Amino acid sequence: MIDVNKCTTCPVHNVGNLKKLGINMKNYDYVVALAGNPNTGKSTVFNNLTGLKQHTGNWPGKTVTRAEGGFEYNSSKFKLVDLPGTYSLLSTSTDEQVARDFILFGQPDVTVVVVDSTRLERNLNLVLQVLEITDRAVLCLNLMDEAKRNNIKIDERQLTKDLGIPVIPTEARQSVGMQDLINAIFEVASGKFVCKPYRINSKSIELSYAIDKLSQEVKQAFPDIPNATWVALRLLEGDQSIIEAVGTGELGNIKQVNTSLEEIKLKVESI
Amino acid sequence: MNRTNGHNNEAILSLANNLRWEIGENFHDKLMESIYANATTIAHKSVTTPIEKPTFSFDRALDRIVTSPVLGFPMMFLILAVIFWLTIEGANVPSAMLASLLIDTFHPILKDFSFTIGLPWWLGGVLIDGAYLAGAWVISVMLPPMAIFFPLFTLLEDFGYLPRVAFNMDNLYRKAGAHGKQALTMAMGFGCNAAGVVAARVIDSPRERIIAIITNNFSLCNGRWPTQILIATIFIGGAVPAHLAGLVSAGAVVGIAVLGIVFSLVVSWALSRTVLKGEASAFSLELPPYRPPRVLRTLYTSLIDRTLIVLWRAVIFAIPAGIVIWLVSNITVGGESVAEIFINWVDPVTLIIGLNGVIILAYIIAIPANEIVIPTILMLTVLVTSITGVGSGDGVMFELDSVTATEDILMAGGWTLLTGINLMLFSLLHNPCSTTIYTIYRETKSVKWTVVSTLLPVVMGIAVCFFVTQIWRLVVGN
Amino acid sequence: MVDPLTSLIIGFIIILFFIWVYLPRNGLLARLKRSKKNTHRVLIEDSLKHLYNCEYNGINCTLNSVAGNVSISADEAAKVVKKLEELELILSHEKGISLTTEGRAYALRIIRTHRLWEKYLADETSVGEEDWHIAAEEIEHRITPAQADALAAQIGNPVFDPHGDPIPSAKGELPLKKGNVLNTLKEGEFARIIHIEDEPNAIYSQLVAAGLYPGMQVRMIESSKDRIKFLANGEEVVLAPLFAKNVTIIPIKNETTVKGKFKSLSSLSVGEKGIVLGISKRCRGQQRRRLMDLGVVPGTEIEAEMKSIGGDPVAYRIRGASIALRKNQADKIYLINEE
Repeated sequence: MIDVNKCTTCPVHNVGNLKKLGINMKNYDYVVALAGNPNTGKSTVFNNLTGLKQHTGNWPGKTVTRAEGGFEYNSSKFKLVDLPGTYSLLSTSTDEQVARDFILFGQPDVTVVVVDSTRLERNLNLVLQVLEITDRAVLCLNLMDEAKRNNIKIDERQLTKDLGIPVIPTEARQSVGMQDLINAIFEVASGKFVCKPYRINSKSIELSYAIDKLSQEVKQAFPDIPNATWVALRLLEGDQSIIEAVGTGELGNIKQVNTSLEEIKLKVESI
Repeated sequence: MNRTNGHNNEAILSLANNLRWEIGENFHDKLMESIYANATTIAHKSVTTPIEKPTFSFDRALDRIVTSPVLGFPMMFLILAVIFWLTIEGANVPSAMLASLLIDTFHPILKDFSFTIGLPWWLGGVLIDGAYLAGAWVISVMLPPMAIFFPLFTLLEDFGYLPRVAFNMDNLYRKAGAHGKQALTMAMGFGCNAAGVVAARVIDSPRERIIAIITNNFSLCNGRWPTQILIATIFIGGAVPAHLAGLVSAGAVVGIAVLGIVFSLVVSWALSRTVLKGEASAFSLELPPYRPPRVLRTLYTSLIDRTLIVLWRAVIFAIPAGIVIWLVSNITVGGESVAEIFINWVDPVTLIIGLNGVIILAYIIAIPANEIVIPTILMLTVLVTSITGVGSGDGVMFELDSVTATEDILMAGGWTLLTGINLMLFSLLHNPCSTTIYTIYRETKSVKWTVVSTLLPVVMGIAVCFFVTQIWRLVVGN
Repeated sequence: MVDPLTSLIIGFIIILFFIWVYLPRNGLLARLKRSKKNTHRVLIEDSLKHLYNCEYNGINCTLNSVAGNVSISADEAAKVVKKLEELELILSHEKGISLTTEGRAYALRIIRTHRLWEKYLADETSVGEEDWHIAAEEIEHRITPAQADALAAQIGNPVFDPHGDPIPSAKGELPLKKGNVLNTLKEGEFARIIHIEDEPNAIYSQLVAAGLYPGMQVRMIESSKDRIKFLANGEEVVLAPLFAKNVTIIPIKNETTVKGKFKSLSSLSVGEKGIVLGISKRCRGQQRRRLMDLGVVPGTEIEAEMKSIGGDPVAYRIRGASIALRKNQADKIYLINEE
């Protein structure tokens, strides 16, 4: 589907866009994005992978600024970007915009979604959204210790089959499972594991009609993109960065919208 | 890639718009519903949850105690009281050690050193009596309490107790138009307002977050407690019979702190109904499961994240202030120092609000940290009254070990019980320190809210001191 | 030294003066701001808007209707209409007045700004429902089309305003009018409100006070010349036919209609469970998105877990997490009534 597949070990990220998003890819082979709901131990996973010591509190929404770090595995160098913790990627909040634009336009080689194993169902909301944007993802089932404590059992193989991506149980606070996670990241990044991501099927007839119709048009105009459905979804939600990307024909290659609501309010007040 | 068929792209956008009109307003709702339905199907296939949740019962039992109408609040006050007690008691010894090391030992050594290498007297004054002393002062009084308070607070946070406090307090704060989590930013403000302002990040609703930031200054911070205690001991304690002195002056200090809480609630209420009426507001509060805190990690990160960052900012601001303090006391115009000229000039006006020129000047030049207000006041009082035998020279801040000696200096400066009461009120109600002002700007990215948070308390302080003074003079006489 | 009594009096006077200047509604500043309205341009733009509304709804517009709508005398209206003709924005003929292409585009720009602003106020601020229209009436004359587009981009390029009206696109497209007035609904039939007319304000505030909002399901009980009686979310509402004309509905036939009174989440006692039917349309913007992100969507099972000390907020178990909601939020989450 993408010409990248011709070389399975080549990085798939788009260096030009990453640069625009403020990521320096010098000396790195792969870029890995870390997404997840707030309070799932995402920062702990990040610290564990990179050895950095970012404060992690038992509070939703602790990571306010984007953190970056790196690690090395199998003589490949990985750049890890910690995205803001969000419940969803469909709203207009700045955090969510940063996260979804990074995954869409930055085209990370792998997106790791960290979820709270004790609340898998609620966390899957974000996972399914991420899988609409990218087909290179790893699910990190974090806080397995708590799940065990609460007698919650998760069938990882079933989950891998359903979601079509590697599913790795971890206990980041105890550094359990981190090696498996790194290995899974490597396999997806290098193309050894080819993901077949689950795609959302809509329960509403009107909705599927609109999404199908629009995504077909998008596919025709942009035959190279892997996520026409997501583009259609975002167009139907009125996402300005996607509208511009489609309008200028530079879908997959555009700048971020940076004017904040606050600025517009100021402008309006000053008239 | 597809730059050529721009027309086609326009058609896509147009189609999208028409489809949106056709689907109606419920698109987002229906989409979310679909995604969750998918999530449920997937989760049900791979997750098995026990029908009985035995281990949840620990959380539930604890929650039952924490939210119990009988035990909930006493438990909360007890825990907070223990934290404050540990902070104040625990900080005394290391603070004294740091002070004796940095101020009593190193300062003279540096002074001698500057003489030895033949530094001009004014350069030595600016650098050592001004910059060094201010920085050293801030470190010795700020570091120990913060290094104790923040880790303790963070431990409670990591354990999951603080969200429950917010949960219980929300009822009160909702009535004041604020968020329950403001109880936590306020508590944090008792440690340090700058840290309290940063802590307001956990409030994710724009309006409530700005309210929490603006009103944080009404939490009597660590730097202001010593001022309150000293002044209350001298003036309030001195006004009552000796056997009651301790109790009454302690009561006065607690009274000021409680007054601060009342002010913060009243101001929150007023702000949410006036200037902030239109700001977006949304409430949600997740109660995370209790987790055993990891003590060492917490100690390490809270020290790095909170204590050192705040301290660093305070030192950065204190150093130029130290220089200014030294300069205004040593630059003379027509035989009088700049400080004296200013003090004499504002004195008549400040009498209306029951303060004096020394206090006003001290609050202006000691803006970086409330900790150096009293040393500055003492130095300036000695300067204008020309007392000899105390202090270490013009522009060199000092503090005295003996309360009586401090009292003598202040009395010589013309202080009365009314001055003492007004200073206590003004210490509660004045602009935040420059570290906090800078932090407010960093957090809100708005000049407007920074100005409001800075000026609102000063205006309130001036008004309150004015009315107290005039009513006092009406009732008690001069 | 000034006598303390005198200075106290002066102090009080200064405080009263500031209150008088800054009072939100009746203060000096607020009054000054209000009196700056009603310039010539405002009259022209308001008249154009009115003419466009007539066209959209298929009514004939006259000089008198312009005068009535913009609240000016017939003489003044004649002047405005003359000016509009000079600007080639309208054409007068024996049947009435009609818009030229430029006039229509101009009117649509104003309407776009108006509706965008209402949407912005509804979703991104806490400005009360009754103030949206008033604020938008002012802002529509002050904001440039470019600023309106920037605002639209920020709030997700909405296509409907909070009253259910479509927002014209930047190119001036607008879908055809849909729906009928509430009066046309026959007894026993179900319908969904798609629009509530926000003018005149006197009627609109009555409709808001009755709890009506776009998206609400209604069922007609009695439709006569004297009164229109219907069930709205299970509660009986009676309107005068004149008032009901300001409510637009589309009939619904499918089985998703809900009978009986809705039960709200706040009615659960600790330990009780319920299944979400939906979130009220009155819960908007960030607040609504937040609830859905937390998993409050139709079909979700929610259990009331514990009360805070004051009894409000209450913590609910929603898809595995404990979330505290205030009573005024829980009131707006409807549960399936199992009785």
